Amino acid sequence: MNEPPANTTRTTINTGAAVLAWVVPGAGYVMLGDRRRGVLAGGGVLGLFLLGMLIGGVDVVDRAEDTLWFVAQAGAGPVAWVADFANAELVKAGRVGEMIAVPTGDPRVPTYPAVSSLKGVARPNELGTLYCAMAGLMNVAVILDVLGRRPGGRA
Amino acid sequence: MIATTLAYLPFLEPLPGVERIWMLMLLPLALGISVIYKAMKVADLERYWRSVGVMTVQIVLAMTGLAVLLAILVQVVVPMLPAE
Repeated sequence: MNEPPANTTRTTINTGAAVLAWVVPGAGYVMLGDRRRGVLAGGGVLGLFLLGMLIGGVDVVDRAEDTLWFVAQAGAGPVAWVADFANAELVKAGRVGEMIAVPTGDPRVPTYPAVSSLKGVARPNELGTLYCAMAGLMNVAVILDVLGRRPGGRA
Repeated sequence: MIATTLAYLPFLEPLPGVERIWMLMLLPLALGISVIYKAMKVADLERYWRSVGVMTVQIVLAMTGLAVLLAILVQVVVPMLPAE
């Protein structure tokens, strides 16, 4: 009596696979039984993210100074937080490279806070930031696809 | 250049020489976006790499076309406009 009509299509929402797709890019497809698709999507997301860090250095992921960019980069999963942590602990804390005092030109304020000699600037920083942000945004698209995809088939 | 490359620390400092070839960095970005997008959209993965190649070329051609149009607008059309 309470059975749905035969022509009703049931909406699939794979919450667990979507969460997994954020934690490990591509793993959502693997969980749904599509291993090859997962390897391709995950390899693409992580490849773009790592290439961005290779081009601009780890400084391209900076939660404190580039917050809006980080929102996009965070779509790639915990790897964005790991990169931000590495940037804060290695580069911004001066554990690698050297800290340089920046003169202000204002006698009342002798220097700005020191910055790392490894701080990314100009084109490499812009490109690296863009690559990591695109990786995050594309992984959000992957997560949305995983969310509505039927296990072992099309969305 | 050689000294800069030898002192290079991967992932900690920017890749040496990117400033000179930054426009070519569109190619791996377009390829990466195509790899991810086609992994979602292609039903039959047998034709996957061909569709990735086609989409990469489409992105590069579209971006090049937009750059040419903007260059014409800025270098040719805008200078022809009356000053006031």
